[in-house]
Amino acid sequence: MTKVEAIIQVSKLESVKNSLHEIGVEGMTVLEARGHGRQKGHTEFYRGREYTVDLIPKIKLELVIADTMVEKVVQAISLAARTGKIGDGKIFLSRVEEVIRIRNDERGEGAL
Amino acid sequence: MTTASSSSSELRDLYAEESARIRQEFASTGNGCAAVTQRTALVEQIALRLWTEMIDPEERGPRNFTLVALGGFGRKWLFPHSDLDLLFLHADRETEQAFKDRIREFSQGLWDLRLKVSPATRTLQECDRFDPANVEFAISLLDCRYLAGDADLFARLHDKIIPKLMTREAQSLLQRLDDVTRSRHEKFGNTVFHLEPNVKDTPGGLRDCNVALWLSLLSSIDKLHDWPDPNSPLSAAVRKQFEPALDFLMSVRCFLHLRSGRDDNLLSWEAQEEAAKLGIGMYDSQGLSAADWMRIYFGHARSIHRTATQLLDEIPAAWSPLSRHFHNLRSRVSDADFSVVDGLVFLRQSSALQDPEVLLRLFHFVAHHDVRLSTTTENKIERVLPSLAATPPRGAELWLYLGEILAQPHAAQALRAMHSLRLLTLLLPELKAIDALVVRDFYHRFTVDEHSFLAIENLHRLRQARSEWEKHYAEILAELEQPELLYLSLLLHDTGKGEPSDNHVVGSLAIAERCLERLDLEPSERETVLFLIGNHLEMSAALRRDIFDSATVAAFADKVGTPERLKMLCLFTYADIKAVNPDALTPWKAENVWQLYISAANQLNRNVDQRLHLDADANDEKMTRLRTLAPTAGKKVKAFLEGLPQRYLKTYAASEVLHHLEMSENLGKHPIQLDLKRGRHWFELTLVTNDRPFLFGKVAGALAAWGMNIVKATAFSNLAGTVVDAFYFTDRFRTLELNLSEWERFKRGISDVLMGEADLEPMLKSRLQAEEKKGTPKVKIKTSIQFDDQCSSNSTLVQVVAQDRPGLLHTVASCFANHKCNIEIALIDTEGQMAIDVFYLTTNRKKLAPEHLKRVEAALRAALQNGP
Repeated sequence: MTKVEAIIQVSKLESVKNSLHEIGVEGMTVLEARGHGRQKGHTEFYRGREYTVDLIPKIKLELVIADTMVEKVVQAISLAARTGKIGDGKIFLSRVEEVIRIRNDERGEGAL
Repeated sequence: MTTASSSSSELRDLYAEESARIRQEFASTGNGCAAVTQRTALVEQIALRLWTEMIDPEERGPRNFTLVALGGFGRKWLFPHSDLDLLFLHADRETEQAFKDRIREFSQGLWDLRLKVSPATRTLQECDRFDPANVEFAISLLDCRYLAGDADLFARLHDKIIPKLMTREAQSLLQRLDDVTRSRHEKFGNTVFHLEPNVKDTPGGLRDCNVALWLSLLSSIDKLHDWPDPNSPLSAAVRKQFEPALDFLMSVRCFLHLRSGRDDNLLSWEAQEEAAKLGIGMYDSQGLSAADWMRIYFGHARSIHRTATQLLDEIPAAWSPLSRHFHNLRSRVSDADFSVVDGLVFLRQSSALQDPEVLLRLFHFVAHHDVRLSTTTENKIERVLPSLAATPPRGAELWLYLGEILAQPHAAQALRAMHSLRLLTLLLPELKAIDALVVRDFYHRFTVDEHSFLAIENLHRLRQARSEWEKHYAEILAELEQPELLYLSLLLHDTGKGEPSDNHVVGSLAIAERCLERLDLEPSERETVLFLIGNHLEMSAALRRDIFDSATVAAFADKVGTPERLKMLCLFTYADIKAVNPDALTPWKAENVWQLYISAANQLNRNVDQRLHLDADANDEKMTRLRTLAPTAGKKVKAFLEGLPQRYLKTYAASEVLHHLEMSENLGKHPIQLDLKRGRHWFELTLVTNDRPFLFGKVAGALAAWGMNIVKATAFSNLAGTVVDAFYFTDRFRTLELNLSEWERFKRGISDVLMGEADLEPMLKSRLQAEEKKGTPKVKIKTSIQFDDQCSSNSTLVQVVAQDRPGLLHTVASCFANHKCNIEIALIDTEGQMAIDVFYLTTNRKKLAPEHLKRVEAALRAALQNGP
């Protein structure tokens, strides 16, 4: 099993969710996040005061999927989240050893 | 052993059979009160059987040892899965030791029947001792009831020890009850209106019933030094409201316990559906919708909550020295109509309430001073409501008071009090549809009416802003010209949820329109309220896009139109999200809302001077409205608007634009057209004339010479050179306020200065000399002058931030005029002692050349340094 963590633009959440639903991914965790990669901050002046936003608002998606789904999921996220500009985000993949459904102790892919 | 196990199995059968019978009877009658009484009797019967088998063959034996029921068991309120609170009372240590093993067996016997026992063992002497660490035990003694054993021992506890203990420790017990209840209420946001309430713990739940009964008992024992009449610890008036509500809640809790087979008190959405269908708590109707059934629940919960909080407020011993001091401070706010005693408002004259104005002033008083209505005041209000319903106040008079109430720091508290007494829906029937309305979604925690009150409260709480981003919001709230319009919008924004429609915003707009009509708001005020309601989800929608993308910001700013509306919408969004549930407004969201606000504010200032060309805007909403208002003036309107900045059209309502047009048409009769109005916060002078050098500076100077303090000003001009300048000022010496006859002289004075028929300089000089004597200001503001040649395609922007002082605007505007700069747009603002003035300047309809700019800057710096 693989854990997919994707950092995406806030405006792309709906289209990424829809794309994932289309390929049969039902569950995901959505977190409000802030951060920056190569895309640096943003400065606004308001009434003579400077407001610098060096950590830009992003959405972090987390989902654990069967290994057979990994490429499909990566494709779905990439296509839906891409604008081609700096700041589109990143996808991280990592191995997951076990999944346990708390309700009934079910384990493995069946618990996903 | 055989006997014991057969007895145990017999008891188990008895308990199972009788429990099933109670369950069936409840299913057919829905009578919760009967069900708890029957279960109490059943458990009591079992306890007595075990007592005679394990403790003493006689129910009234042995000597010096008694079995006492406490808590719900003591009150005879044993719900299907409630715990059993038992006290094993001993005369002394010896009996305690002697019965130790048998008590364990007795408890084990109850446990074996799956009865959850909470036992306590005390000697009589221990019961007399007050333990500050276990106040709950002392309070539980208020519900004590004899079950078995030595009746004389119980009588000593009940008749002597408890009254003595309660009288001696009344202060501590009341204080503890007060603390625990208030902190429980706080945990639930101090409201009964939860979408999924806990029927035991949420305010207005069964625990509040207990609190009300305990407070009454404690208060009576404190006075009588003895138990009051066991049947009426509550007064007859309170019982009338309280008992039907208690009956209803008992049925609901029984239903929840039996439905889930455990001590489950959460009235979830699924449970609400079922309860409504079965008509739980209703003896005469079934098949109600869940929303209607919940309204009945909230009505009862409100009665219980009101009784409990009133008793908490009214029993003086419940106050700590600190809260007593606080209440005494409150008493000082009494006035000619209302007296405040111990933090509660009383009427000085009962008959005064016949006058609706006094009634509205009473709630203004509550909203202003953070005080609560006394029970007698509430009763008096309830008595006048029927006559008020026949001829309720309406129109501008009602809005005058309502607007004032909404703007007070404790407005939400006053609104809740008005709502609870059914006065709010009498005054604003539009709110009836959302009264205690449950709308189910995954986010909202409160009913629609409570959500609206909470949103208003969230804004008022900004006065105590702590976090950085809260301080930003507090700052723009303090700058609003008419905050009452924002509060009214919040009150009405979700009224559409009470109507069967997919889009509640459309419903809310239609309802609000009717309400604003009845309240007789000014057209521009109506437009603002309708704008806020119609667009209250726009900012949240924009947050789901890229708020750093200039196109997103531009589209949003364009929709909002003016900085004032932007401020209001930003605050609306903040308050609305925060009122969804306590965690809804994460710092992430709050910062994003603020970021979008400042980007949009800058966007609005950058595009402030884009000119109108009406062919392109022929289908604009405002133009449509203008055409409706003045169907025959089409060409004239177009000619008047041609070349005015877009901001002009966004600043003024259609009716105001038509008024300006009318003034411009009168320029042939007199070249200076002035209109003077008095607003709630300041006076407004509108000038329509043909543009000429020194115009803006002269008006500013003339106002300063009259002693007026300019807090805001705008200046716009069209292609034909007609200017529309507006000055908003406070009348520092109350010249206009106290002398109506001075209005004409004032206007004539301004007109004479502009026509060159009066000399401004000597007038201004004498006024400024008088001002100089007043000394230096408390807050020093450093002067800052910024030029921006990039932000506009047509004009050069100058922003002057300086210490506000009489004649400042005249000094700045005259300096521009002296250097042949034309003021295309002026946006004048004042925050405390800081003046923030923004001017869009041109020379010969072009930006200022760099050399020219340098000369203007040097002159302006010198002028500001030298003072007026």
